[in-house]
Amino acid sequence: MQTSPGARAPEAGGPVGKRNGPGGSGPPAGAPKRPGGRENLTGYLFMSPWIAGFLFLVAGPMVFSLYLSFTEYNLFDAPRWVGLQNFTDMFADPRWRQSVEVTSWYVLIGTPVKLAAALAVAMLLAQKRWGQSFYRAAFYAPSLIGASVSAAIVWRALFSDDALVDRTQKVFGIEVGGWIGDPEMIIYALVALTVWQFGAPMVIFLAGLKQVPRELYEAAEVDGAGRWRRFFHITLPMISPVLFFNVLLETIHSFQVFGSAYIVSNATCGPADATLVYTCYLYEQGFVNSRMGFASAMGWLLLVAVGLVTAVLFWSQKRWVHYEEGGR
Amino acid sequence: MSRNNGIDRRQMLKLAGLSAAGLGLTAAGCGSGSSGSGGTVTIRHSWWGADDRAKKVQQCVTLFEKKHPKIKVKTDFQQYADFWKKFNTQAAGGNPPDVIQNAVTFLRKYEAKNVLLDLKPQAEKGNLDLTGFRAGLEKFAEIDGRLFGVPVGSNSMALVIDEKVYEKAGVAPGAGWTWDDWYAGMQKIKNGQGIAGDAGPHGVMYLYDLMLRQNGKAFFTEDGMGFGEAELLPYWTEALARVKSGVYADPKKVEQIKPASATAKGLSAGEFTWDNFSVRYSAEGKSSYGLAPIPTTDGKRTGQYLGSLMLSGSARTKHPAEVATFISFMTHDPEVARIMGYDRGVPATTAQFEAYEPADAPNKAIGAYETAIADAGVLEPITPHPAGADVIEAAFLRIGTDLSLGKSSPEESVKQFFSEAKTALASN
Repeated sequence: MQTSPGARAPEAGGPVGKRNGPGGSGPPAGAPKRPGGRENLTGYLFMSPWIAGFLFLVAGPMVFSLYLSFTEYNLFDAPRWVGLQNFTDMFADPRWRQSVEVTSWYVLIGTPVKLAAALAVAMLLAQKRWGQSFYRAAFYAPSLIGASVSAAIVWRALFSDDALVDRTQKVFGIEVGGWIGDPEMIIYALVALTVWQFGAPMVIFLAGLKQVPRELYEAAEVDGAGRWRRFFHITLPMISPVLFFNVLLETIHSFQVFGSAYIVSNATCGPADATLVYTCYLYEQGFVNSRMGFASAMGWLLLVAVGLVTAVLFWSQKRWVHYEEGGR
Repeated sequence: MSRNNGIDRRQMLKLAGLSAAGLGLTAAGCGSGSSGSGGTVTIRHSWWGADDRAKKVQQCVTLFEKKHPKIKVKTDFQQYADFWKKFNTQAAGGNPPDVIQNAVTFLRKYEAKNVLLDLKPQAEKGNLDLTGFRAGLEKFAEIDGRLFGVPVGSNSMALVIDEKVYEKAGVAPGAGWTWDDWYAGMQKIKNGQGIAGDAGPHGVMYLYDLMLRQNGKAFFTEDGMGFGEAELLPYWTEALARVKSGVYADPKKVEQIKPASATAKGLSAGEFTWDNFSVRYSAEGKSSYGLAPIPTTDGKRTGQYLGSLMLSGSARTKHPAEVATFISFMTHDPEVARIMGYDRGVPATTAQFEAYEPADAPNKAIGAYETAIADAGVLEPITPHPAGADVIEAAFLRIGTDLSLGKSSPEESVKQFFSEAKTALASN
């Protein structure tokens, strides 16, 4: 039921004030069904800030942007209905195609590498050893600060010409210069930045690994199974629900990359559009070029694309995710 | 149970009340908030620039508030690109600052959208003084008899050079030198000093405008582009060859040191930019930097004009008189000139121009440069910038850079540029 919270509040106010008064409109004590309704009401009222926020800050703008995606709107003049024009413009736009290419590349390379790093480190940290909790905290820390602007600025400084990375390369005789100004290399700097922030999936993997029964490994060892065999035949299947969760979350997350690309490229999404991720182009069209209709259309297309990818992942899980019998 | 329920409900009501109050506050916060109490009026002034300019502007504001105790000025600043994003959003939301720093690329865009205040009536009422401007600058932002801004400073395109490198290479730029002379110099510098002659001018819209004007054309007409593919293709083809041969600086390196300048970081012996930017070179770099004249096609015409930063009012301001008073103060008060220096270009009024005598070499050079081009009589009126010029300028820079990085061929780049320019003109 979508009742406006504002309208409900005064109604509820009545009975509270006169709760003990004679002839109060409150329910008679011990009335069988009313408390349930009241509890619902209480629930809705507690939720009201969230509901209001959702309606005004999420649902409303979404519906409006869906409308805008079929219009030409420069923020000042009234939106002008153009039908599917924005979508056809998009497919004809080489920069839009570039943004799709860059984003797909980022998702396809960045996500698996990040998850592999997270799993590898989680497996190391799952073993009991001295200083374990320190290492866990240390590896998790980057993901706390990783999404911040300052980390991206530091990253930019690290990978610039004649900076730390460049100098280290030179020690090994690799003369490619800094990565930031190189259209071929800058995307690797972005991938490295996301991989470096593997803390969150790592913690989830760690929890998953703890759930794998020791007996399975012991039995496998008795049967003579080696390290890799144990990994592929016990660990991976046993943590597959956790793996699925991480794949899903990180994929969706990667599609929405913005801050790191924007800042590492010095707000240009360049050089030569090499870091023109989808959201970066959307932002440029909307807020720099004042093409809000086009930007809205891009946003909706991204939503549909992420939805499709998520659906495919859910469909595929039947083939590789193993839930315990009777499922928990 | 019922007792608990009661307490819960009471708390809940408090919560509901609080959140309702919160919403109310937010709504109130959306108002203009510029009405004052006790007869004082508060106006908001926002501008782009860095910390250094912030200190100077704040000093001027303090001085203004002292002289006009009934007007308070709240200031706000961002970097150039962020400034326009924020202003766009504020203006679209109906809550723009009362006074903004403005530039010619944005003038028609916001005039067409009725965002800017017509200052003519304020001048007629005597709140804004339009006398004493240099070289007709008071008409700089006049469109169809209405006035949408007043220049705070003026500047002109120039060639900033690393004097030491030029001297060692034996290249001596002089008034009326041609593009061929310039290019021969670039090669001499490259061969003799092992450094690129120029940072690569192919993305600088304002320089290309000068080259077009030297040939009787211009970058913009009042409502569109003043040139076509036939002009741009050879220009960019040549540029790519010069990048490859090392006469223009390595674009990969130029990209990495941004926002620092290529010449100050020793990547090139010079670059084309606005003359008042030369102040930053001495701060950023280790050499000594000077201003050289713009090369010409025929040995005479440079195509130069005075570009200008201006102050504009918001059409939605509730205090047009105070806005005009503030703008008038910023453009005429001699003390303001002594505080700002050439930070926003050479002062636009004679009173301010005479009030500030630079003591340091870079600023002295700017003053001398401006005087020299004015005396040489090369200054022409500026060509119009249609709505969308800001987007076109950014596209020209970006596509020019892509080209030099070898991402696209000159043909593709030219095609892409005109396609984006068309979209920008249509959607702004």
